[in-house]
Amino acid sequence: MADRDKIQILKDALYEAARDHGSDQRLFTQRDLLDMQVIPQDNIGLLMQVIQILCDEKLFVGNTTASGLSWRWRSREDAKKYTSLPNSEIMMVYAMVDEAGADGIWNRTIKNKLNMADSLMKHCIKYLEQKGYIASMKNVEHPNKKMYIKANLRPSDRATGGPWFTEGELDTAFINELQEIVFDFIKQKSTYTSHGGGAGVPGVGAQGGGAQQREKNPKKGVVQGTIPHSEDISKGTKRSAGEISNDDTAAPAPAKKTRPGKPQLLPLPAGYKSYPTVSDIAKFIHHAGITNNTTLSEADIQQLVDVLYYDGLVEPVKVNGRKGYRVTRIPKQDPRTCNQRRLDHDPTKGGIVTSFMGVEPSASGLMEAPCGRCPVYDMCEEGGPVSPSNCVYFRRWLDGDEVQEQVISI
Amino acid sequence: MAVIKEKAECCTLLVDELYGQLPARVYATLFQRGKLSVRLISQFSKLSARQVKNGLCVLQQHNLLFYSVDANSGEAEYSVNHEYAYNLVRTGKILEMVDNSYGPAGRDVMQNLLLLGQTRISDLVAAYQAKINEVNNDDAWLNDKKPELAIKSKAQLNSVLCRLIEAELIDVIHSKTFQSAHEIEKQVHREVMDVYFSNGIKGTKAKIEFEQRVAEGLRKVREESKTLKRKLAQNGGASKRRKLAVGNETNGAPEEEEDLDPALDPRQVIRINYEKCIVELRSRRLVQYVNETLGETTGYVYGQLLKQLTKNISRCKSDPLIDALTPEEKVTPSVTTNEILDKVKTSIDLTLGIGKIPSKSISKSAAERLTPLAPKDKIPFMNQDDSDDDEEDGDYSDSDEEMDTKKENGDAPVARMSRPEQLRQHLLLLAEGHPGFVRHCGEDEWTVDFKPLMENLRATELDSIIEQTSGRQGLRLIRILRTKGKLGEQALQSLSLMRKVDLQQKMLEMRLVGFAHTQEVPRDNKADPKKSIFLWYCDTEQAYSSLIAKCYATMVHCLQVLEVRRQKDKDVLSLAKRTNVKGKEKDMMRDESYARFAKFLKDERLLMAEMMRIDDTLALLQDY
Ligand code: SF4
Repeated sequence: MADRDKIQILKDALYEAARDHGSDQRLFTQRDLLDMQVIPQDNIGLLMQVIQILCDEKLFVGNTTASGLSWRWRSREDAKKYTSLPNSEIMMVYAMVDEAGADGIWNRTIKNKLNMADSLMKHCIKYLEQKGYIASMKNVEHPNKKMYIKANLRPSDRATGGPWFTEGELDTAFINELQEIVFDFIKQKSTYTSHGGGAGVPGVGAQGGGAQQREKNPKKGVVQGTIPHSEDISKGTKRSAGEISNDDTAAPAPAKKTRPGKPQLLPLPAGYKSYPTVSDIAKFIHHAGITNNTTLSEADIQQLVDVLYYDGLVEPVKVNGRKGYRVTRIPKQDPRTCNQRRLDHDPTKGGIVTSFMGVEPSASGLMEAPCGRCPVYDMCEEGGPVSPSNCVYFRRWLDGDEVQEQVISI
Repeated sequence: MAVIKEKAECCTLLVDELYGQLPARVYATLFQRGKLSVRLISQFSKLSARQVKNGLCVLQQHNLLFYSVDANSGEAEYSVNHEYAYNLVRTGKILEMVDNSYGPAGRDVMQNLLLLGQTRISDLVAAYQAKINEVNNDDAWLNDKKPELAIKSKAQLNSVLCRLIEAELIDVIHSKTFQSAHEIEKQVHREVMDVYFSNGIKGTKAKIEFEQRVAEGLRKVREESKTLKRKLAQNGGASKRRKLAVGNETNGAPEEEEDLDPALDPRQVIRINYEKCIVELRSRRLVQYVNETLGETTGYVYGQLLKQLTKNISRCKSDPLIDALTPEEKVTPSVTTNEILDKVKTSIDLTLGIGKIPSKSISKSAAERLTPLAPKDKIPFMNQDDSDDDEEDGDYSDSDEEMDTKKENGDAPVARMSRPEQLRQHLLLLAEGHPGFVRHCGEDEWTVDFKPLMENLRATELDSIIEQTSGRQGLRLIRILRTKGKLGEQALQSLSLMRKVDLQQKMLEMRLVGFAHTQEVPRDNKADPKKSIFLWYCDTEQAYSSLIAKCYATMVHCLQVLEVRRQKDKDVLSLAKRTNVKGKEKDMMRDESYARFAKFLKDERLLMAEMMRIDDTLALLQDY
């Protein structure tokens, strides 16, 4: 009897000692436990007795590793859940869900591992769910699998897919919104806004003196009456051969752009030290408090910036080993923010705008011609069912605008 | 020398368009059958020998043929010079370019050379003389207004020709001009063998020597077309004149200077040198890119830099045989800031186009960093953004801080820069960052590594075509594959942040157009397709070649559509050709006819312009 009391005391002492020595993830070997100086005289037999009782009470969990047996402790609360379970099957199922941790476990895995009948397993799960011990969850990697997780755990990032997922679905609206914000931030920080007249330098401290001066005396002598071809491109109109020549090297083109009153983005000088880095962007996002209920790590932001890079919207610039980002094709960028552009956009005027970020791709001759986008290009051949001589796309392309013209002239 | 079908078709139609049906038929036959004698051409094309000869004559005149004499039969055999034939589509652009750099007089001469084909200088002079006489004969112009001539005197003509020859835009016909590169190579091989290796080549050393000698021989042949240029250089004319006429080039040389030019040997036969023209066109294209990415002032500066730099660059792509032994650095020279400054028009305000920020936010050392060596050939597209300069970075940042703090005290936030410094700002901006427009190769020395630069721009062009075809998300996926290599769907999804359904749909769509491909990797040796892993990848080279084919095909379609329209409006067009109608179409024709005529002209212009635009893409993809 005394023995049993003694063991009871030792048991509690060992449990507390183990708790003091590490988290519930730490594995203790036999040696570790003996070294805690709880068991008198390094009595292995006694230790094993104590451990056995702890395991029976679910306070210790045994583990077999390559180096032999080891144990970790489990909280009393959790242990109580185990001991309250009515039978061993339910206990085994619960153990498996418990083991799986924050990643959750597929019900088929439970069934196969325990070699259990379907109905029995279902019964166990139902019992555990009703008790509120486990809950079903969604895993983005396997959206069609029925997964379970311990009810008091939050699913891991791997299971939820990280901050980009909401309830197992990729939250594209959220991503897009955030991308626009990041893009606007990079755009603002990596360019210089030249206003017609005064100039402000967002982010780098307003230094408008130089700009102001040069706007006052535009080089009238070289201003030509031609439209800069950039506008042609943005309108998507075809250019004639004559117009092509306008973007020539020798033409005094540079001065043409100095139209007063229109803000325009300019590149910053080489060696600019403050192109925003990923951590700058992360800080900005954090302080702006845009993402209240999700915290975004730098890695998450990097992912976002990478996508912008793949989209050809931003490019990395390395200055002294510091990798910052700037927007591409700066002179073509719209100085307005994405949101502003969306507000200003008049849907009745012209085509579908898929994105308010960045610039339209530069027009290429091939894509302007009907064949560039032709759905039957592969079959088209003189003498075939579709051929240039009976081509409707070309007819529309050549005659289409004439029809319009006639309407106008009437 | 395989020519893709689309190109052959395109060249034939171009010949048809410009020189008529007969030469085109001969040309088509040559494309189909390769090297042929007159007899065989006539047999295959069902044309009479006389007709064939007529056709060949026209083609020969315009340098569209190679010929060689077969040693056995003694018959001349002809084959196509398809590069030249294709260049016909570029004539418009070339004329524009010459007009801009050499003024209307240069353009006029070039245009005549284009129309006449290769021409003896004396003939050209005579033709111009006749025209000049006609205009100067006052009696003939009593009623009409005297037309303004681009070339007003023989001396001016001579001077213009000298300029064009110096620029290599015109070169000289020599004995080997009409031999294909392959023939010439064979011949040089034979000669080298006969002279130096009569006992055969033994050992690797001899082999290397042999290759060198062949390269030398080939180079000599290539140089032969530059005889006139060399003669001019010996005369010292160019440098003398340059001193006198800085910044005056576009107006043609002023009167007194024309006399400084040596008279050209009237017996020489000259032609347009397309190789060099393409170099000029490439420069124009590069400037366009800079205009788009950095701004027009910087673009202008870049244009001036390229003008200086390409003076001695004769061709865009170095010949693998001849130039293999000369490293790239030697091929591409460098220019100094001052050389560029001398050419920048005084009306250009160089302070425009770059943001103004206090100098303390700029790292001088990073901006001014020199890169003396050309980049090594890297595996294209793999991790381009992480360039190899990481190691050095540490050293730089230290010294940098020092410099910056020193600067801070003295300088006003935005210092007024001297003009050379303003110019350097643009050059430094060009040197920084991704496409590598310029390399800062020495203190105030600048050069351009054309090969990697063009490779980057090719990718940019492909990107913009992908974006126009498959949207931004398509572009995103392709660029991921290009940087990361082959990827499974899961990985692709997490990198692209796209929804699975969207991703699958986009990828399938792009597989159909040939931008993306799949590879099946079986999980075990049973190769059960249900269990296989599918990897996505993109093949950029293949994408280029299919785009090139598409460009040619589209041009063919343009020409065919044009022909159809011409047939449709045949009656009106022939009416417009009548001498009493010509020039006064609007008054002479009935309204309805005139409307049709005008519409046809408009369509023709549109189609031709479109072809030139397509050529922009094509040239970038394969020629620059
Ligand atoms: S059908 Fe018309 S648009 Fe399509 S490839 Fe043929 S010619 Fe071009």
